[in-house]
Amino acid sequence: MSELILGSRMMQLIIALILVSTFLILGSTRLYSCVRAFGIQSFLLACVAGIVAFSTGKFDIYIVALLTLVIKAALIPYIFIYIIREIKVKREVELYVSVPSSIMIGGVLVVISYYLIRSINIMSELSSLSLSASMSLVSIGLFIMISRKKAIMQMLGILIMENGLFLGAISLTYGMPLLVELGIFFDVLIGVLIMGILVFRINRTFESIDTDMLKTLIG
Amino acid sequence: MIEYMLFSPILTSFLCFLTKTRRQVEIVSLSGSIATLVLGLALVADVYRNGMVVAWQNALFADAFGAFIVLVVSIVGFVASIYSMGYMGHELEHEIIDLVRLRMYYVLFHIFMFTMLLVGVTNNLGLWIAIEMTTLVSALLMILYSRKSSVEAAWKYMIICTVGITFALFGTILTYYGAVKILGENGDALNWTSLAAVADQLDPTIMKLAFIFILIGYGTKAGLAPMHTWLPDAHSEAPTPVSALLSGVLLNCAMYGIIRFYSIATKSTGAAFSSNLLIIFGLLSLGIAVPFIILQEDYKRLLAYSSVEHMGIVALGLGFGGVFGVFGAILHMFNHAMTKSLMFFGAGNILLKHETKEIDRVSGLVKSMPATGTMFVIGGLAITGSPPFSIFISEFTILAAGFSQGYIIPAVLFLLFIIMIFAGFFYHVSRIAFGSPGTGITAGEVSRWTLCSMAILLVFVLLLGFYIPPQFYDMIMKVVEVVR
Repeated sequence: MSELILGSRMMQLIIALILVSTFLILGSTRLYSCVRAFGIQSFLLACVAGIVAFSTGKFDIYIVALLTLVIKAALIPYIFIYIIREIKVKREVELYVSVPSSIMIGGVLVVISYYLIRSINIMSELSSLSLSASMSLVSIGLFIMISRKKAIMQMLGILIMENGLFLGAISLTYGMPLLVELGIFFDVLIGVLIMGILVFRINRTFESIDTDMLKTLIG
Repeated sequence: MIEYMLFSPILTSFLCFLTKTRRQVEIVSLSGSIATLVLGLALVADVYRNGMVVAWQNALFADAFGAFIVLVVSIVGFVASIYSMGYMGHELEHEIIDLVRLRMYYVLFHIFMFTMLLVGVTNNLGLWIAIEMTTLVSALLMILYSRKSSVEAAWKYMIICTVGITFALFGTILTYYGAVKILGENGDALNWTSLAAVADQLDPTIMKLAFIFILIGYGTKAGLAPMHTWLPDAHSEAPTPVSALLSGVLLNCAMYGIIRFYSIATKSTGAAFSSNLLIIFGLLSLGIAVPFIILQEDYKRLLAYSSVEHMGIVALGLGFGGVFGVFGAILHMFNHAMTKSLMFFGAGNILLKHETKEIDRVSGLVKSMPATGTMFVIGGLAITGSPPFSIFISEFTILAAGFSQGYIIPAVLFLLFIIMIFAGFFYHVSRIAFGSPGTGITAGEVSRWTLCSMAILLVFVLLLGFYIPPQFYDMIMKVVEVVR
């Protein structure tokens, strides 16, 4: 059953596109294009949820797909753009790791995730493709968090990780129970808002949102 | 019952938002926290008599362990709200914060209480949601002061804990995946009650993976080394009553998450796997705390590292296992909550008086503030595990469990570490407490409210060292039954 849904051509295409959108984030040096790529990624995730909902005929998953579309693909990118516009930062992603090496590392992470999922071999009945994509998203999200200077990019990194987990959950178990799923959406949204407040506060106190500045508390 | 208890802090928070003056907001906050305490204790009594309480179609529930968390949260929360009146009032009088900030503080304080109570009474792995909410609210409490260091601490706290908790979510998804195979796809597959019943049938490979992710995820929030890096920053930069809640209660809430999964995972994977992991993380936390405590220059960070140490001890107790190990761990959670809050309150009084967090610039506390000084020294003795105080009992139980379960090397290391920590910690406490007060420091206490809250906590610290009331003993034994 699950092979039918997750292994279908359509799914494979969308999952590949999700990976492409992640590499768009890795490869771009402008904040706006990162946010746009994140929006596309979330939209594709909503499509995945939509397809799963359509093939299983479960009403709950339709709601989840709709929420993904509204919250992650529209609202959160909008909040990001609002923050970028309001704090008037230089609209470049400042990097610790250059773009070519970032993409190389991203590629390596995808390969590692793929082999890890193969080797664990506990999810044999499910498409290992979507699970390894989910693992890749989590690891690339982490990599983005540590390799970019701007506080906004750390927020984005967390959200990419969260997207990865969402993909994992939907391919493992068709998502969590609705109540839990709603709670997670709520937390993600509030989390983004509060991180936004923190970014404003960082900008006001340090007159920059480079996390380089945040290095005084040690020992 | 549970709904009323959860509703009380929400209502209080809303009412605080409507108040106009300092007096009003303090009265509302205090009466609200008394209500929360009474309802919390009533819930605990109910669970103690009837075993388990459920509400809202099984979405909320409290067994002995949940009730234990509610007990700790409501006691420390109540005391912290008394302390807040003295502490935040002093900040207001000295114009460090204005009335708007003060009101904001109380609003967030009670929402924070709500999220922590929610952790204790959620009947499913949706516990994750409650724990993430505690992070969100407490990060806002941390940036109450717009100091550079608080903003930095709040950002680190937010980022590190959110990433950590994302791993915990993955662990939760895996557990759900394991449970769905047996229980079928419905909301029940995430409930503690149904999970505990089928725990031994869960696929061990999945549960091993899940437990690792849960331990790393909630371990980040519980301050287990090496994921503890946010903890000293956050706990030292938050307003002091919040530091007490973060250290005393929130760490326990995260630990609660680990222990819940531990009790499910052990039934599936066998005890050795999860025990060994807990012992490794526990010893690592103790070991990392040692140099940072000995060489510490900031007394609030000193207390924060001591929290890392104590969470390590709880993890060790759990890892040693057996009735005594688990009993010691649970008792230690309670004792640590009381003693560490007492210490933070003491530190808060010192901070108000001396306006510095450096240990070098504070001395003669016993002379300048006799009551705070005395309680701070007693707290210092208690927190380092010297007899006859409460923490000695729980540490000793855990140590005994270690030897009797055959974990000789970890137990010896544990002993070694706590001796070193005792020496380092008490050296700093004595530098603060004794000697003559610095120039320009007038004698006298800061506020009666702060002393009153410290005295309440001191009762627990002293009493549980000499005598554990049979009802309390029964309660902890019931928790142990739930865990094992």
